[in-house]
Amino acid sequence: MSRLNIIFLIVFVGLLVWITLFEPGAVGTIQRGALKTMKPFMKASSQIDATVEALGTETLSPAQLRSRLAELEQERNRLKLEVIQLDELLDENNQLRRALQYIEKSPMELVASRVINRKPSNWYNTMVIDKGILDGVSVDSPVIVPVGENAGLVGKVSEVLGDHSAVVLLLTDEMCQVSAKLKGTQEQGIVSGQRGALRTLPNLKLRYLSKEAGAYAGQPVFSSGAGELFPPNLLIGEVISAEVGVIDTEAVVKPGVDFEELVDVFVVLPALIDSTEEDYESDGSSEVAEPAVQLEVEQ
Amino acid sequence: MRFFLILLFLIVLALILQEFVPVFDWAYSSRLLLVHTVFLTIAVAVPFPAMLSLALVSGFLWDARYHVPLYTNEATLGALTQSEMPFGFTIFLFGLLGAIIQGVRPLFRRGRWELPVLMIGICTALGMLLEYLVISFHRGGLEIPAELWWKLLMTALFSALISPFLLLLLSRAADWVRYGIRSDDIKRRYTYDGDAI
Repeated sequence: MSRLNIIFLIVFVGLLVWITLFEPGAVGTIQRGALKTMKPFMKASSQIDATVEALGTETLSPAQLRSRLAELEQERNRLKLEVIQLDELLDENNQLRRALQYIEKSPMELVASRVINRKPSNWYNTMVIDKGILDGVSVDSPVIVPVGENAGLVGKVSEVLGDHSAVVLLLTDEMCQVSAKLKGTQEQGIVSGQRGALRTLPNLKLRYLSKEAGAYAGQPVFSSGAGELFPPNLLIGEVISAEVGVIDTEAVVKPGVDFEELVDVFVVLPALIDSTEEDYESDGSSEVAEPAVQLEVEQ
Repeated sequence: MRFFLILLFLIVLALILQEFVPVFDWAYSSRLLLVHTVFLTIAVAVPFPAMLSLALVSGFLWDARYHVPLYTNEATLGALTQSEMPFGFTIFLFGLLGAIIQGVRPLFRRGRWELPVLMIGICTALGMLLEYLVISFHRGGLEIPAELWWKLLMTALFSALISPFLLLLLSRAADWVRYGIRSDDIKRRYTYDGDAI
């Protein structure tokens, strides 16, 4: 090996060691800068994806669109009325709770956001959304979507990249572990996804259930709120199968959210988590800690 | 110098185009790793010091965009978990893979592209396998499902398929700036890095 090669190799190793020793703050600054530069391309890529997906779908005529708009306006007005009624019920409920000296329930405060980049990583199931620091999003904020009558858990914010962007670690990733419970029982376990992001929609594993759990196919699984990161009663999925082991039961769970179809998601702001923690600290009862159903969405 | 600037431009362009490369669900969520492929193609065509310099640049840019940082974990009740691959790991990976692929550089310089193309595919997959092993080492419990091998194979295939076009592009760029990329281009007795022709 020539002298020049050796000099370059020494310089390379030196710089490599220096870079790997960067503080998390410095790494964050570098990544924010990179994302700011790349954001126009990410948005363009997302728009191309949407256009390609739209090619296969049926185009509506102006008359059909007008009819659809009228339907949606009607639906919006109905929901507005429902929210007003729920507000009144919440007030009444809180008054009664105060009378009984219980802690007041807080409405779930949400931020609507759009997915701007899917699966940016090779080994992690993640996505990038268009809401960040200025929208109140912080690390570990839960991310949800409506699934039928329930709020379905999508994952949690793993990094806030900038004023209007954040990375969401999806529930289908092995590193997104959630305390979960089987509906209709007191059984609790830990749900986790799959290592390596080898499939877009892998089944989840629900581990550490007791041997007497009695999980059955079709049984819904919800977040328990015990781990304090996620609010309770978010839909995770339903049991496909369960296997009783030597010391515990492990169940396979089909996710309730269709991760391939995610376009708009909602980030739960930290205020809710704080109030949930306070509830737990105050009397340790999971019943009192459950959040109200009312949703306040910030656009 | 002009050729080196072209290579830098190619790496930045690859990073931008990577945003537009889709993930193929049918291929076990694999994709064409354009930055990796461009870097390995360049690594087969340039001397060792230039390869190391470009490994530093491209690895840094890749980590700046795709590095997964710290996160907490509900199962550990919010205890902070360190990122599994440190920032800068891709620089190490590119340096290592670049050094391996330099072994087939003499063949490329003689105008033989078959083995370099194969090695570009193999090295891309090898890089991914190393990343997976580091993740598994951190998490404990080495799981090697069949899907993993398929994902690596498909990624290697995508890289190997695109690399002849990139090699051709490099050759054209070298001709354009009169850089001696092949043995028969070089009039001097010794090359830049001192290897006898």
